[in-house]
Amino acid sequence: MYRWKDIKIALFGLLLLSGHLCCGQAVIEGKVTLPKGQPMDTPPPRYAGQVGEIAAPDPPVAVVYLEGQFPKGAPAVDSGTNAVLQQGMQFRPAVLPVQVGTAVVFPNGDDFYHNVFSYSKPKRFDLGRYRKSDRPPVEVFDKPGVVKLYCEIHQHMRGIILVLDTPYFVRTDTNGLYRLQGLPAGRFLLKAWVDEQHVYEKPVELEPGQHLNVDFDKK
Amino acid sequence: MILAMKAPSLILALVLFATAVRGQEWLDKLDGQLTIKSRNGFFRSDLSGLLDLEGYYVDQRPPGLLFENESFFNPRLTFFLDTRFGPHFYSFVQARLDRGFDPGETDFDARLDEYLLRWTPWNDSRLNLQIGKFATVVGSWVQRHDSWQNPLITAPLPYENLTPLADGDPPRSAADLLARRHVPDVKTEWLPIIWGPVYASGASVFGSLGKLDYALDVKNASISSHPYAWEPNGNLWEYPTASVRLGFRPSPAWNHGISFSAGPYMTTDASAALPPGKSIGDYNEFVFDYDVSYAWHRWQWWGEVFLTRFQVPNVGNADLVGYYLEAKYKITASLFAAARWNQELYGMINHGLGGQEPWGNDMYRIDLALGYRLTRHLQGKVQYSFGHREAALQQGEQLVAAQVTMRF
Repeated sequence: MYRWKDIKIALFGLLLLSGHLCCGQAVIEGKVTLPKGQPMDTPPPRYAGQVGEIAAPDPPVAVVYLEGQFPKGAPAVDSGTNAVLQQGMQFRPAVLPVQVGTAVVFPNGDDFYHNVFSYSKPKRFDLGRYRKSDRPPVEVFDKPGVVKLYCEIHQHMRGIILVLDTPYFVRTDTNGLYRLQGLPAGRFLLKAWVDEQHVYEKPVELEPGQHLNVDFDKK
Repeated sequence: MILAMKAPSLILALVLFATAVRGQEWLDKLDGQLTIKSRNGFFRSDLSGLLDLEGYYVDQRPPGLLFENESFFNPRLTFFLDTRFGPHFYSFVQARLDRGFDPGETDFDARLDEYLLRWTPWNDSRLNLQIGKFATVVGSWVQRHDSWQNPLITAPLPYENLTPLADGDPPRSAADLLARRHVPDVKTEWLPIIWGPVYASGASVFGSLGKLDYALDVKNASISSHPYAWEPNGNLWEYPTASVRLGFRPSPAWNHGISFSAGPYMTTDASAALPPGKSIGDYNEFVFDYDVSYAWHRWQWWGEVFLTRFQVPNVGNADLVGYYLEAKYKITASLFAAARWNQELYGMINHGLGGQEPWGNDMYRIDLALGYRLTRHLQGKVQYSFGHREAALQQGEQLVAAQVTMRF
């Protein structure tokens, strides 16, 4: 025998669920025009005894993110494992977007040392030298901005951690395609970060359950 | 006079400092713009460089390879040009504008210190063949000898402390050599164990096979020779020096190497003063060097020991041991400290009166430095050194040096 109170709760839950399905969070997808990938042509070491085989860097990608005033308790987008691996004398991924306050681990995947550092304003750090078998160091990125990563030992290595003050962001694939989902309704600014010189933006107005297509190109 | 020279130097250093701090983004952009390359990527040339402003304060005659007789300012502009021609050919040029190869040697000098052409037959680093004028394969300091990578300002003692042996003026007797212990270094003539990075001319073969490194070079001058002997038009082609290094990297933390070098150390200027029937090819410098390095987290350690023998006309064998142990510790992301203990110990020679004496003045020196990297392009260092010779005559017991380096 169900009590009337239980039935009311169940009906309220169903109402909420139906509302979410028919007119819930918005989705934006589209394409960002990416620069052509550069061939791997790092100069060889100048002196004998400086060795190592250099792998090709990651192809270029962009980061698309939503800026604005979000409702309280906005759910964070799952950005996957926050790690920047050093492998083949390259940072992988070469571009990692994270939300402010996120911890990032820096595992060494090579059989030799790396020494990751950054002198960028949002985060200044130097991880020192550590092995593949060592517990990887962790840094918390608590200020928004572009954090440029370098290796003291291998000067060609370049990486970026894009620290964003928004929970809504996604990295494009290597064709520039992206899908940003779980977005709240409202007026926002949609940005595409290609590199420091190329950051594009478009205002968007999102309705609940809306599916929007926004492309960014260099024009 | 010194103050008059220091004021513009200080202003220049401050301008450089301010420019580099505020211009970090500009320098970052410049990094990518000093490159020319062909569309298909076959050809690529990268220009980079270092601008150093150094000041040396000495309480006596400066030690080692500092050529001024009092405190002085030493600017240096270095350009590096790395060029690739496809996957198998590479060339490198280092050009410098400064006050001589060693600080204070002259008022102004412009040189090509290094130029080389390298052929790498395979796509990995198992074999490289190289000709030109380039750094020695001996030891491990060469790989970190530029002002950006050297945690101190001066070189380790074996790379810069002069022995009483001259390349053009052989001693007439043991007593003649022993008497040189009591006069100040004759920097234009005397020789160290190894003269800095030794950019002599010649050919080299080197490569890596797993955890093993090998390198061999044949050059026109010994590793102790003066920079003027390194030019390809030097007169020692008929008396070449051969050097070899074998390296072993058992783990990322450790790097061991042994080097050996042998070759005549005198120039043909000395020929007339040699004993009858002898040539400069009969008097060699032999060096055996062991180098080791270790790194872990914020620490880096380096050490080298040189066992050296000079074959000296009218004297016999003159042996010398030189070594150093150096450490660098990163206190913060930007601030680092470095310390180096150096020592040279001279062997005995017969003084001709039935006894033996060391043929030079034993010496120790401690170098301490603090460095700060403001940006990826700007670094400042200060160094204090205290050295002492086992002799009545001291040279530059105390040295204070400062260096600002801008890298582009």
